[in-house]
Amino acid sequence: MGKKVFMVCFCMMFLIISASTLFAKGKKEEAPPPVETEKKEEMKKEEVPPKKMVKNPDTMIYARYGTVQSLDPHRAYDTSSGEAVMNMYDTLIAFDGPATDRFVPMIAEKVPSIDNGLIRDGGRTYVFPIKRGIKFHNGAELTPADVEYSFERALITDQDGGPIWMFYEPLLGVAGSRDGDGNLVVSIDDITQAVEVEGQSVVFHLNDPYPPFLGILAQYWSGILNKEYMITNGAWDGKKQGWERFNNPDQGAEALYDKVMGTGPYKLVKWEPGVEISLIRFDGYFMGPAPIKNVVIKIVEEWTTRKLMFTAGDADMVQVDTMYWPEMDMLEGVTIYRDLPRIENTAVFFNFDINPEANQAIWSVKLDGQGVPSDFFSDINVRKAFAYCFDHDTFVKDAWLGFATTPNSPVPKGLPYRDDTVPIYEYNLDKAREHFKKAWGGKVWENGFKLSILYNTGNEHREIACQMIEENVESLNPKFQIEIMNVDWGNYLNMMVQKKCPLFIIGWVMDFPDPHNFVHPYMHSQGTFAEWQSYNNPEVDGLVRDGIKSVDKGKRQDIYYKLERTYYQDVPGFMISQSVYRVFVREWITGYYWNPARDQMMHFYMFKKGY
Amino acid sequence: MNFLNYIVRRILLLVVVLVGVTLIIFVLLTLFSPEQRASTFIRDIKQLSDLDSIIKTYGLDRPVYVQYFMWLRQILNGNFGWSTTVSRPVLDAFKFFLPHTIELALFAAPLIILAGIWLGSLSAVHRDKPVDHFTRFLAIIGWSLPTFWFGLILLMVFYGYFKGLFPPEILSYQAQSFVDSAEFIRYTRMNTIDALLNGELWIFVDAVRHLVLPVITLAVIQIALIMRIMRSSMLEAMGKGYILTALAKGAAPKTVIRRHARRNALIPVITVSGWLFAQLMAGVVITETIFNRKGLGWWWARAATQLDIPAVLMAVLFNGLLFVITNLIVDILYAYIDPRVRLG
Repeated sequence: MGKKVFMVCFCMMFLIISASTLFAKGKKEEAPPPVETEKKEEMKKEEVPPKKMVKNPDTMIYARYGTVQSLDPHRAYDTSSGEAVMNMYDTLIAFDGPATDRFVPMIAEKVPSIDNGLIRDGGRTYVFPIKRGIKFHNGAELTPADVEYSFERALITDQDGGPIWMFYEPLLGVAGSRDGDGNLVVSIDDITQAVEVEGQSVVFHLNDPYPPFLGILAQYWSGILNKEYMITNGAWDGKKQGWERFNNPDQGAEALYDKVMGTGPYKLVKWEPGVEISLIRFDGYFMGPAPIKNVVIKIVEEWTTRKLMFTAGDADMVQVDTMYWPEMDMLEGVTIYRDLPRIENTAVFFNFDINPEANQAIWSVKLDGQGVPSDFFSDINVRKAFAYCFDHDTFVKDAWLGFATTPNSPVPKGLPYRDDTVPIYEYNLDKAREHFKKAWGGKVWENGFKLSILYNTGNEHREIACQMIEENVESLNPKFQIEIMNVDWGNYLNMMVQKKCPLFIIGWVMDFPDPHNFVHPYMHSQGTFAEWQSYNNPEVDGLVRDGIKSVDKGKRQDIYYKLERTYYQDVPGFMISQSVYRVFVREWITGYYWNPARDQMMHFYMFKKGY
Repeated sequence: MNFLNYIVRRILLLVVVLVGVTLIIFVLLTLFSPEQRASTFIRDIKQLSDLDSIIKTYGLDRPVYVQYFMWLRQILNGNFGWSTTVSRPVLDAFKFFLPHTIELALFAAPLIILAGIWLGSLSAVHRDKPVDHFTRFLAIIGWSLPTFWFGLILLMVFYGYFKGLFPPEILSYQAQSFVDSAEFIRYTRMNTIDALLNGELWIFVDAVRHLVLPVITLAVIQIALIMRIMRSSMLEAMGKGYILTALAKGAAPKTVIRRHARRNALIPVITVSGWLFAQLMAGVVITETIFNRKGLGWWWARAATQLDIPAVLMAVLFNGLLFVITNLIVDILYAYIDPRVRLG
């Protein structure tokens, strides 16, 4: 009896599998299989070639990793979220194709400039005439009031972890709506006066001239919202009274966390956080409907699965980590966009005033051969010696498989006002030895030192950089001891914020295409990295301030050139890599172009599918 | 009455267990600084300036017992917190991922248990014969296979080489689009069951195609365990006096094996099967990851590595509940199978 039951079970399994195969074939007739491209050459000239077919011809499937955090343009501040948002909202202006220094009008009729009179008051007033007839996804017409509301709501919301800090500096001259204790530092009048409607135009009143302002407005966080829809869905009601309760909502409590009402080329169909997001073409898009009807972004974390989906034609585009690029070269039927220059860089930063409190990274906290004092890196000779110990060529080759370059300054290649002539500290152990001998009046060389350097677990690039520093520094003197520690990401951030890392390795990706976006965090005493390093050069602070307030291109160039050279001279850190990116699509996907401001985010409006 | 008492006692015990394990988790939290926990909200170093604000908002700097009571109060209000791993409320995420896990367990568990019992019996009855050697060999191979390796090999062969025969994920694009449409009613969010309830056979077949490889991956590895336990238990039962007596009295060997030996040998298998089912219900991390079937195991594994405390607490609560209930069911089944066992 039992045996029979088991036999029935197995027979059922067999039948299901057989039926699956048969049904699968039946379905595949409706959705044609991927094309065998190698047959192309075999076709005779006189024959009419059959039209090549692709799977899901009206749908683009992108297999990637990275969870969308929020669909609210004022909260989204990661690649996955930004990508989703940018396909469903429009901005006043956009980058002109692959350029980061030229703009085209989108919702605005014109791109403001001094020449056309729309940038006034020495760069303190920007006027955007608004196009008529642009429709939101719900059919409502976009008005200047929607534009005004969008920016005011951004300033009012200013949610933790969001990108709105970028509006605060130009518009109100402060870093954000709250101080470190969470108290509001701006008033509703400050906010409403910053953005105003004048007829069919929207006027921005800047606190000071801010040359990269257009670059900030061209990104997804400046997407225009539908005021009425927002109010209906519980967002700020547009009134001055009680605005405070809309400031800094909890994670997920933001009004547009899982809702969308934009004017962009795609509408939201479904978002399953951590799983996938589906979009459908907005046929009423004011620039004309997108060529591809449906877009599905699937989160597939396992590389082999992602690759198999791509090769089977179940994904049209795939995200590939650098280490897998060589194996992708061997695939057929794939279009690879190579050597796409990212505007980012990674650097090694020295801590001038290491926090000794319960800090095992500096051991004895003395220069006795068994530790380092808190101010170990305040001696420029120590910093120079470490910089000379870094073998840049080997690092790029080993850590990046050659798919990166060594930047010479905090301003990455691709940004304006970058001085190519600034030297770098080339790998030179003789010079490193020389500086170690001079450091701390010779005590470093005589006594030796011991310190720990950290990287976050799983980050191979930082691990290799740490290993290179350890090996090369220790090779100079047997009294030099460096321990490498790996810690989780949270711990790593914590150690940096608390200024406990003797040196740390971290990178910065561009927010807007201007050197200010890099020199401020790297060099200003209140900038993100410089603050963790306790690097404080009053002259540098002044230059950073002057650089962002100046609208004179020649003057800005002088300032940034000087800052870049100062970074070399002061050596608060040294750059180790600026990476490139590759985009992998099946050969039936066309139309892609790279814009470094979008970085890895895909704007699906550009793509076409088919032969 | 005894039986009811027993169940009530076990349910009370369940509450104690759940409070205990969640307390342990909260005590373990003291190992992490508020900054470390707040940093789970930070995806980019540019957001680090908000660290203090995040700590204050979520009360991460308050004493652990205060945080525990805050959490308990939230739970009683039906708020299980926010999962940073999947960017959604914990309860929503749980409701979303649970059907995927149940569906996989519903397909895998019967296969594993029935096949394990059958192969174990077969092996014991044919002790030291080629059938026994062969099944034992298979069991060793199955048990030794690393899940990630075996799953990937299956995927490469049956999806890569055989051109999408048994694909990863949960449904094909066409089927998913149909399931998401208004024409399809989601009763359980388990695609196979919903497809049958909607009368859409092609959706059912599509869902089964996507289940074949993960079920085989789980089955090949887990069958070995049940089989080995069943074999040794069966051998022990077959050596008992009452079996020999039955055979000596002329009872048919098949009847003796089926009615006497196998039934008695099932007791340890039931324990393990209960544990196995609970384990499958709690999610199978590697299988879910390789086949991109987002279920509870996938979610909780990421939550654990990313210090997503609310999600980890949900995992602890659910697993505690699951294992206590499973043990209760196993105990009841014991009493049913072995009349000598009395509950209470």
